Amino acid sequence: MLNPLPASKWNYACAAHLYNRAGFGGTPSEIESLLRLGAEGAVAWFVDYEKIPENENRPDWAKPDPERSQRYMEIQQSARQEMNSDQTEEQKKEEAEKRRKAVQQLQRDQQINLQQFRGQWLQRMAKGPRPLQEKLTLFWHGHFATSAIKVRNAFFMWQQIDTFRRMGSGNWLALLNAVATDPAMLIWLDQAQSREQHPNENFARECMELFTLGEGHYTEKDVTEAARAMTGWSLDRVQEEYHFRAGMHDYGSKTVLGKTGNFYGRDVLEIIVAQPQAARFIAGKLWKFFGGEEADPALIEALAEVFRSNGNSFKPLLRAMFRSEEFYAGAVVGKQVKSPVQWLVGTLRLLERPMPPPIVSTEMIKTLGQELLLPPNVKGWDGGLSWITTNTLLARYNEAAILIMGQGNLGADGDSRPGTKMAAQFANAAARRMVPIDIEAIVGQGDRRDAETLIVALGQRFMQGHLTDKHRQILGDYLGSRTEFDDVDVRHAIRLLMCTPEYQVT
Amino acid sequence: MKPFSLQTRRDFLRTGVLGGALSWTVPAFLANTFSALHAEAADSATQTATGKDATILVVLQMAGGNDGLNTVVPYASDDYRKARQRIGVPAKSVLKINEQIGLHQSLAGFKNLYDAGHLSVIQGVGYPNPNRSHFRSTEIWQTASDAEKNESYGWLGRYFDNACAGADPTIGVNIGRQMPQAFNGRKPTGVCLENPESYRFNAGRRTAEGEMNADEKSFRELNQPAAEDAAMENSGATVGAIGGPVAHHGSVLDFLQRTAMDAELSSDKILAITKKSQNKAEYPTTQLARSLKLVGQLIAGGLPTRIYYVSQGGYDTHTNQAGQHERLLTELGDSVKAFVEDLKAQGNLQRVLVMTFSEFGRRVAENANGGTDHGAAAPMFVVGDKVKAGLHGKYPSLAPADLFNGDLQYNVDFRSVYAGLLEEWLKTKSEPILGRKFSPLPLV
Repeated sequence: MLNPLPASKWNYACAAHLYNRAGFGGTPSEIESLLRLGAEGAVAWFVDYEKIPENENRPDWAKPDPERSQRYMEIQQSARQEMNSDQTEEQKKEEAEKRRKAVQQLQRDQQINLQQFRGQWLQRMAKGPRPLQEKLTLFWHGHFATSAIKVRNAFFMWQQIDTFRRMGSGNWLALLNAVATDPAMLIWLDQAQSREQHPNENFARECMELFTLGEGHYTEKDVTEAARAMTGWSLDRVQEEYHFRAGMHDYGSKTVLGKTGNFYGRDVLEIIVAQPQAARFIAGKLWKFFGGEEADPALIEALAEVFRSNGNSFKPLLRAMFRSEEFYAGAVVGKQVKSPVQWLVGTLRLLERPMPPPIVSTEMIKTLGQELLLPPNVKGWDGGLSWITTNTLLARYNEAAILIMGQGNLGADGDSRPGTKMAAQFANAAARRMVPIDIEAIVGQGDRRDAETLIVALGQRFMQGHLTDKHRQILGDYLGSRTEFDDVDVRHAIRLLMCTPEYQVT
Repeated sequence: MKPFSLQTRRDFLRTGVLGGALSWTVPAFLANTFSALHAEAADSATQTATGKDATILVVLQMAGGNDGLNTVVPYASDDYRKARQRIGVPAKSVLKINEQIGLHQSLAGFKNLYDAGHLSVIQGVGYPNPNRSHFRSTEIWQTASDAEKNESYGWLGRYFDNACAGADPTIGVNIGRQMPQAFNGRKPTGVCLENPESYRFNAGRRTAEGEMNADEKSFRELNQPAAEDAAMENSGATVGAIGGPVAHHGSVLDFLQRTAMDAELSSDKILAITKKSQNKAEYPTTQLARSLKLVGQLIAGGLPTRIYYVSQGGYDTHTNQAGQHERLLTELGDSVKAFVEDLKAQGNLQRVLVMTFSEFGRRVAENANGGTDHGAAAPMFVVGDKVKAGLHGKYPSLAPADLFNGDLQYNVDFRSVYAGLLEEWLKTKSEPILGRKFSPLPLV
């Protein structure tokens, strides 16, 4: 188990696979560069990403601002307050309208910030210098799936993602402690309100079920007791930061997973992480995300052992996984359905196209079933085959046309839901202004001299050499026996390649 | 079995199980597959749906765990008052059904249906050893498994496998992006759609009306399994696992190819229907109403569907429940009422039933945040013209001594409800689908 891939087996297909899984896919020249590093060097380039410099671009709204939060709270509180009974009906109506507008403006500001943030994150995935850091951040976002729909605060969402980015390949207990006291999480799973008299079990339960151990590895009693220990973890809404409320904490004795003491929440996390199952659980989830849906229990145990023997640190596990023969096995390569984010970001990279406006890119992945910062529930995205339905498959095919040809219609006009209709119309308007891709950046004039040469060049880039005879034949028929292909012909041929079941896997 | 000749296949398709509905181009491989299915169907209990007369079940999921106690309110109970001091529904606002229970005031739509004899309330539905995890409990409801067992196939998927072999992919239609686990079967069946206008391959280049352009032709070819695989398909009993180049890509690709094929066929059909058929009632503008409106349109257009699936989320009301719950129930009641009116005006109400479910009810005692935590038993609703309207089952006791871990105990196993609908509404044996015999609740 976990033997490093022999140097003799390291080839273009392996480098392409590593680029797909540890990042968002590479262009032929990027894959060639990676190939030249050798397996060990290539894995190190992904895993030791701190060595690559990066400029941080933190928007103004993503900084703590007590004055702003005070203002927000006042608006929200005033919206809930009773009207002054001395006022006339007319005045009350006016006041109500004023309050309504203020709340609406506040929500709109949050939406704008969230949208800007999604756009920046997608941009980082597509063009940033550290692909694995962004891929891992996406993994943690799906793992600790927190949604802006309840958090309703762009800064908190930004901060949580930033925590994943900073700590995503470090120590498990440190990350868990950071997440448990993360403002967005405190709101998302109601921990901020949990107190001795009425412990809220939401975080305690999901922490064991979804974040650390998995069903069947704890009891209902463990959940209730852990929830008691976690009371007091709360939030200072004005300072916009974690705050321990001593008065809300239950100081009594608790028994969690066989250990008894006057535990605090952090003690519970320490007990959880020390369980043999904890390493197995998180190793299994990482393998499923980066490797394959199905995993040999012995492989997961081996990964878990690497994790444990390195002080529950993720980087050695990731390195061992990306280096392993198992990672490059036939059952793994090309067997993963691209998530909508992977599909979009990877496609843009292959098309050498700049990121469309955030309103377009987010609308696109939304239609494909994934909304960043809005996972469907705390379990995150189910992934795998569940990304593919008749609906989302057709949408992938049609969005491919927009990304290649530009001037598309996202097909969202039929959405008549109040609130989403306008956004959909804006997205459509923006998509219609998109320009076609630059074909010169993808195939040189030499590649256009006959259909066969063109098909091979496109196959190398878009199918990474996995072009089937069927693809070759159908595209050959489509392009005909001409010897001249203009940009429009090439764009349509690319579009057809992307409208295949094969393009949807990686 | 030898592959059918093209002539035979065409003849079959024009006159066969799909009726006269196939006036558009059907890819040859499809014809091929259907012939095989037809042959298999001839000696099995396969149900064919023509879209004109078969019964239809609409499953409505209320995701998040609906608070049953504040939905069908035991307004006269002292135990209820004690447990729900902050968020209890006041007796005066309840829409009374009898001296003990009534509907939440936001369910005026349901009260109308109840008074018209179109609504049945099944009280105290649940299952043994209830699980309080959303995901696990949803899985239990979707797969109809025991709480201790893990099943991957859904109850509707098993219905498709057992009773609908060879059916059109639109035999099951989910309105939404993601397939519910209930649809998982041995053979992937059913389609997902959100918006009919975008539910088609957009060829990009214009051509004369009715003509297929080169892009579309190539697209269709690229999304067909290779001819030899389709032929092989006909030689065995594994109909449905359409063989692609398995040696190279394995089952993920099979699944994609299958879905691509279903997408192609169903989009042609759905496009044709939405062009000509119309709703006959006004719907609200909520998301659930929009989903039901589309279902109404597809039923009007005669899509050969037996199962429609729609969902409404947001029932996980841990904090400040009252306002949210009110909004959700208004959306539910008003949407279903509009749907019923639509079907009635179409003349289709007598062949449609709507069944609601939620993964669990909520704890009897409210929590400190004006909300409720995950619980157990809760009511289900079945709506339609043919339903035995009124109350079924017994309201679970709220007496503290009768609760289990603070939860209501169930009286009706949800699988009895499924069994009743399978046996008496969809007219198929429930035992092979539910794994064992559950006494069918007489709902029809």
